[in-house]
Amino acid sequence: MVRSNRMRRTRREFMQDLGLSAAATAFIWNLPSLGYAHAQGAKQRVVFVFSPNGVVPDKFWPAEAGEEFTLPEILTPLEPFKNRLLTLHGVCNKVRGDGDSHMRGMSCLLTGIELFPGNVQGGSDTPAGWASGISIDQEIRNFLQQREETRTRFGSLELGVVVPNRADPWTRWVFGGPNKPLPPIDDPYQAFAKMYGRVEDRDSLKTVLDDVQEDLRRVRSVASASDLKLLDEHETFVRVIEQELQEASQQQTSVPAPQLETGVKNTNDNMPKLSRMQVDLLVNSFVCDWARVATLQITNSVGQARMTWLGIEEAHHELSHHPDSNTDSQEKLTKINKWYCEQVAYLVQRLSETPEPDGSGTLLDNTLVIWTNELGKGNSHTLNDIPFVLVGGGLGFRMGRSLKYDRVTHNRLLLTLAHRFGHGIETFGKPQLCEGGELPDLV
Amino acid sequence: MSASCVGRMLLDRCAARSHHPARSAFAVLMLVVAGPSMARAYSDNPPPDGRTIYGQLCARCHGHDGQGVADEGTEPFAGSQTLADLVRVIDETMPEDDPTLCEGDAARSVAQYVYDTFLAAEAEARDTGARIELSRLTVRQYDNTLADLFGTFLGQGKSGDERGLSARYFNSKDFNREKLVTERVDPHVQFNFSEQSPEEGKIGAEEFAIQWQGGLIAEETGDYEFCVTTENGMKLWVNDPRQPLIDAWVASGGTQQHRATVRLLGGRVYPIRLQFFKFKIPTASIQLAWTPPHRAEEIIPPRNLTPDWCPPVYVNTIPFPPDDSSMGYERGTAVSKAWEQAVTSAAIDAANQVVDQLNGLAKTKPDAEDRRQRVEQFCQQFAERALRRPLSDEQRAFYVGQFFQENVPLEQAAKISALLVLQSPRFLYVVLNNEQLDDYDVAARLAFALWDSLPDQPLLEAAKAGRLQSRDEVAAQARRMLGDARTKAKMRYFLHHWLNIEHLESLAKDQERYAEFDAAVASDLRVSLDLMLDDIIWNDTSDFRQLLLADYWFVNQRLAGYYDLQLESGDEWPAQFHKVACDSQQRAGILTHPYLLARFAYHKSSSPIHRGVFMIRSLLGRFLKPPPIAVAPLDEGVDPTLTTRQRVERQTREPTCQTCHGLINSLGFALEHYDAVGKYRALENEQPVDASGSYLDLQQTLTQFNGARQLAEFLAASEETHACFVKQLFHSMAKQPLMAYGPETVSGLQKSFAESGFNMQELLVEIATTSALGTNKE
Repeated sequence: MVRSNRMRRTRREFMQDLGLSAAATAFIWNLPSLGYAHAQGAKQRVVFVFSPNGVVPDKFWPAEAGEEFTLPEILTPLEPFKNRLLTLHGVCNKVRGDGDSHMRGMSCLLTGIELFPGNVQGGSDTPAGWASGISIDQEIRNFLQQREETRTRFGSLELGVVVPNRADPWTRWVFGGPNKPLPPIDDPYQAFAKMYGRVEDRDSLKTVLDDVQEDLRRVRSVASASDLKLLDEHETFVRVIEQELQEASQQQTSVPAPQLETGVKNTNDNMPKLSRMQVDLLVNSFVCDWARVATLQITNSVGQARMTWLGIEEAHHELSHHPDSNTDSQEKLTKINKWYCEQVAYLVQRLSETPEPDGSGTLLDNTLVIWTNELGKGNSHTLNDIPFVLVGGGLGFRMGRSLKYDRVTHNRLLLTLAHRFGHGIETFGKPQLCEGGELPDLV
Repeated sequence: MSASCVGRMLLDRCAARSHHPARSAFAVLMLVVAGPSMARAYSDNPPPDGRTIYGQLCARCHGHDGQGVADEGTEPFAGSQTLADLVRVIDETMPEDDPTLCEGDAARSVAQYVYDTFLAAEAEARDTGARIELSRLTVRQYDNTLADLFGTFLGQGKSGDERGLSARYFNSKDFNREKLVTERVDPHVQFNFSEQSPEEGKIGAEEFAIQWQGGLIAEETGDYEFCVTTENGMKLWVNDPRQPLIDAWVASGGTQQHRATVRLLGGRVYPIRLQFFKFKIPTASIQLAWTPPHRAEEIIPPRNLTPDWCPPVYVNTIPFPPDDSSMGYERGTAVSKAWEQAVTSAAIDAANQVVDQLNGLAKTKPDAEDRRQRVEQFCQQFAERALRRPLSDEQRAFYVGQFFQENVPLEQAAKISALLVLQSPRFLYVVLNNEQLDDYDVAARLAFALWDSLPDQPLLEAAKAGRLQSRDEVAAQARRMLGDARTKAKMRYFLHHWLNIEHLESLAKDQERYAEFDAAVASDLRVSLDLMLDDIIWNDTSDFRQLLLADYWFVNQRLAGYYDLQLESGDEWPAQFHKVACDSQQRAGILTHPYLLARFAYHKSSSPIHRGVFMIRSLLGRFLKPPPIAVAPLDEGVDPTLTTRQRVERQTREPTCQTCHGLINSLGFALEHYDAVGKYRALENEQPVDASGSYLDLQQTLTQFNGARQLAEFLAASEETHACFVKQLFHSMAKQPLMAYGPETVSGLQKSFAESGFNMQELLVEIATTSALGTNKE
């Protein structure tokens, strides 16, 4: 029925995440406390953050190259982390083929490979379908999950903020493989349920178990004397479950679940709240070591966020088509992109103030946040100079610099990421676009 | 094969108790000679009395009191085999190392002693000790109960006679009502429009959309994999109108197979909807297939589709540990930690479902003023429905009222109430007391016997009105309930168990010898058998004997082709099954149905032993202990000139083997006209098939027959077969030992079965009524 199917899918995913068979998980409500105690050595994490419709280049890219540079208006929220960030100018999405720039910008961003022909017609170009390959986050995730020392409960988390409820090449950037788009969870309560849902169930169960035992005692007077043994056994097992529940909840208290504000509806106007809730859940998952890889997709390619809280009534994508000469629109687009940067900054700040559970520095020391976009610039729909801003110490890059490349493919950046995780693949995505190998000058 | 093996393979009538290791610990008759001085044959006249012989020849291995001797590998005497069986076994096989020591009168004498002293006493103790035990819901009962519990509030689907799916064709890609061109019923979904329009002149070839919807009839419980193949965009919903099971709105990379699996309960109808559109792709095609449990992938056939709307069904997806079936039927007389965990998890899932659907269940709206009242009222109804009787004020407060306090959110109150109800012993046990029954207990027992589920509204009303007191009243209710799809589902569940096919996943045969016998043929055979069973049971005469005697089959074109049958039809749908007559000398009912013949056969050859054992255990209700060691069949290569019969005869020719195999083989040989895939053969290895056989019944009457038809006629007329069917059906329905209802119940049911002309529907009514009203003696 309605819900049972959805529940089953959730449960199946859940069990797949854990690598457990159905038979072993009949009692799944105590699984969040399962420890993955095999972690060895320093952790490495990567988070990809997406915002749409290109940027305002001269308000985004530092004019200078090298260690001495000034953050332009859009990047100012990251000022406190200036010595821990990298801007990569000149990285281009050179994947061609079917689909318009928004579609390829989005669905080729992490996959680096063409879209299949299909039935989705964009604003220009030929119709297309899904990406024909896996995305880099999933490639890294799979690599980490194969190894006991880096395996985590979920491996990766696919989160979103106000993503429209439809599946197409404009709304999906994560792919488990060719033709396998993975949907982001954009409802923080659903994300919470994925992580903690069974905790709520356990609380409900705890409140009722005394009554269940009382019920069993009451029916003894009705049952025939010869059958009481069966009821005794039944009651014993209820008590065993009660004990296990208590033990499980004691284990849980080491990392408390984040306290989410209740009743926040998944709407445009709630974006600021929703974004923070998702970031809080993400940071908490890292503390629990439930995942080493994450994506946070804020809206979607061609996203139409209306940032009324900034006093902007127009929808983002519409504004992004206005010519450079429209200074009012350029100002608004600058504000919009700065707001997105604030979301990245909030994530970075949370990571920087949260210690690693093992005491080895902060989460940011071992995490690389990559903020990116499907277009270089909205009104030209260019796939050149794709925004890439990297923050954090996760992959050992030399930070605190503004780097300028000469039109390199973004496949080489994706390949570099895999290598920094120790995953020695020779190419990623379309092999021809990997020529030259790793991006130089990062380490 | 050693003599000890033979001792362990003795016969026992008591099929129902047959699989329980402790209770069926059947007499292991191993007599060992104490020493050389004892080496004196008791074949002279007159022999000493049985007690003396037992002490000298038997006690060392079987114990002085028949208790068994662990070091000798013997167990206490138990079972209910006849004295004659015992005489034969002792005469031919005991003592183990020299059976000649105890023959003739000596064997008769010691057999009489063992029988009187140990077995008869044991049998009496067992029969008088049998009682109706407190039983929790079996897994099947639990799943169906939850489905019907939710169905009470959300509606229950029924399938009419029409088959296929409602189809709507649109002359646009977006299902715009104004562009709706055609409404019709499509028997199935398998279309290749290529570059054409579905309806030339009415619908453009470039861009169109089609929606199919209706009900999906699931026949068996388990995982169903759906597979939609198309190069275009589609979405499929199964049993969930909100969340698509498959969302492939984006077509990508040419023709794709989209697969997803969902669990369904057998005997129910589920909502299904398929949306399909063509846009920006040069061609269009779509097919909707599934892989049902125990079957191969196929286009979903019209007989599993109905154009009528139906509501979703709640399907529990928490795996439960299998029920104890050591007595030959699934029963709920034990609990375990794994079971309690499953009950708890399933209760949580169901309680979450209550919250998720609260407004629909309570017939209210989020902002309704009387929402609290409605929700509490619903929770009371939910509790009464689940617990199957009206609640006292105190019970109402305990299960519901105590949670509805001002500071508790409604959803939380409803959730906790549901959690308590679904873990209550009043919910989890069929009835709590089998000595004193009230009308609601009778209603519950009747519903669980016929449906493995809750009583329905009319039954509860009858209970409330005190109209379930007399046998006639209960029988009238049972008769009313016969026509329900749940009775048919339960009957099929029983038949699959009876025929040993409930867990059969596939039937693979040697691909060199039976190249065309593939998964599709095997899958069709299962359908063919089911159609035959339904046809015989659900007609006016419902004659049990026809299960063995019917001279027709259900076949589609594939089966007709494979088994050389004439199928005259110009079907556009080759998978359609038709009833066709067959040579009555070559085919007789289920015994010659290739699904069973192939099931009871080896990879390459027939197996008279498997077929014989099936007949002895499942049709005649006699007990065979398994051989103590796995015996591999003689390889064909040992002597390629031998027929299967000759090979089996050679391997089992030892007198010790013959104790059991005399009986097994002589039944199985009568089916030697059928090879490993159930095809008829007149010759094997260029020799004429010898299908002569015989059966020695419990009265020691020997019947001889030649071939399947004569064998079937014998079995159809055999009282042993009738008694076995009655007993097994009873156990499957009541989940309690038939003996607990007294010997007069056993003979009464057999008598009424015979008097009704072996009408199986009447038997269902009789058993349901008897088991609903039966109580333990005080």
